[in-house]
Amino acid sequence: MKCRSFQKKLSACQDSELKPGEQEEISRHLRSCLSCREQYEKLERVWQTLGEMEEIRPDPWFYRQLVGKIKGPREQGGRSAVEWFPQLWRAPVIVSILLVLGILAGTYLGNILVRSDFHPFQPDRTSYSREALFDSLKAFEPAPPGTLAHGYLQMTAYREDESR
Amino acid sequence: MGKEIPSEELMARVAEGDESAFETLVVRHQASVLNLIYRFMGDRTQANDLAQEVFLKVWQAAKSYEPKAKFSAWIYRITFNLCLNERKSSRYKKWRQFLRFNKDHEIQADEDLPASSPSPEDLLLARERSREVSDALQGLPEKQRMALILKRYDNLSYQEIAQILGCSISAVESLLVRAKRTLQEKLKIF
Repeated sequence: MKCRSFQKKLSACQDSELKPGEQEEISRHLRSCLSCREQYEKLERVWQTLGEMEEIRPDPWFYRQLVGKIKGPREQGGRSAVEWFPQLWRAPVIVSILLVLGILAGTYLGNILVRSDFHPFQPDRTSYSREALFDSLKAFEPAPPGTLAHGYLQMTAYREDESR
Repeated sequence: MGKEIPSEELMARVAEGDESAFETLVVRHQASVLNLIYRFMGDRTQANDLAQEVFLKVWQAAKSYEPKAKFSAWIYRITFNLCLNERKSSRYKKWRQFLRFNKDHEIQADEDLPASSPSPEDLLLARERSREVSDALQGLPEKQRMALILKRYDNLSYQEIAQILGCSISAVESLLVRAKRTLQEKLKIF
C-alpha cells in the first residue's frame, strides 16, 4: 500500500476504528515512514490541543431549576386547551365593549357641551341681508371697495366736488 | 457498592412518574450534556439554558421512550437537534453578539479557582488557549463539529456518532477526517 492510502486511514487509526489487522499494518508503516509519522503526529497534536478546552461544571441548583420548569406551569395554574379557549374571545369582546362605550360617551358629551343652535360652519342667518349680498358682488368691479384704486377714485371724486 | 441502575431502566421508572429516578438520570448525565452543548455552541450561559431544555424534553418524552439504542445516544441526539434549532433561530445571533461583548467578564465571574490554584498568568494563558480552541471548533460546519466533539470528548464509536447525527459510518469517518484537517490549519499545527 502507498503512503497516500495509509494517510487516508490515519484518522480512523487514531480513533481505533480500523480492523485489528489494518491497525497493525498502519502501526508498522508508521515506524518505517517519516512522512506518514509526521502526519500522524500532527493529528495527535490536534487531539491534544482540543483537550485544552476547559470543562464546565453544572450549577449546583441545576436540578432544582429544572424541576421548577417542569412543575412551574402546573403549579402556577397552567391551563388546558379547553380552559384557554374562552380566553380567545376575551380580547375582541373587550375591544367591542370599549368601542361602543366610547361612541355612547362621545354622543352624550356632544349633546351636552355643544349648543343645539351653534352651527360654526353655516353663515349667520340673522345678520344675513340683501345689502351684504350686493356689497360682496362689488368684488367683481374694476376697483373693488377697500383697494388702492377704489381709494384713489374716491379722492379724485371728492376733489372734483370741492372744485365745483 | 450496589450496581448502578442502567439509564434505560431509570427512564422506564420516569415514565411511571418516579421523580427520584429522573433526578438520578439528570445528575448522571448533566455534566456530559452541558459540556457537549458548551463545546458546540461556545458559551456557558446558553449551555446551561439549553441543557435544561434537553432534560425537559427527556421528561416530556419519557412515556414514549423506547430503548432501541443506548440512552446516552438518544439524549445526545436530542441535544444535537436542540443545538441546531437554537443556531437557526435569530435569537441565537442576538444572544451571541451580546455574549461576545461580555465574554471576558463572564468567564472571570463564573470561574472557580481550584484549591491549588495556578498563577494568574497561567490561568490567563489557559483561558486564552481554551478560547482559541473554542473559536476553532466554532469555525467547523455543524456536523463536523458535533462528530469531532462526540469522538474527542465523549469517546463514542463511529457507529454511535452515526446514530446521533443520522448518517452512515463512512460519512462519520469522512466528517472527522475533514474536521481534523481544518483544525490543523486553524490551530496552526504544522
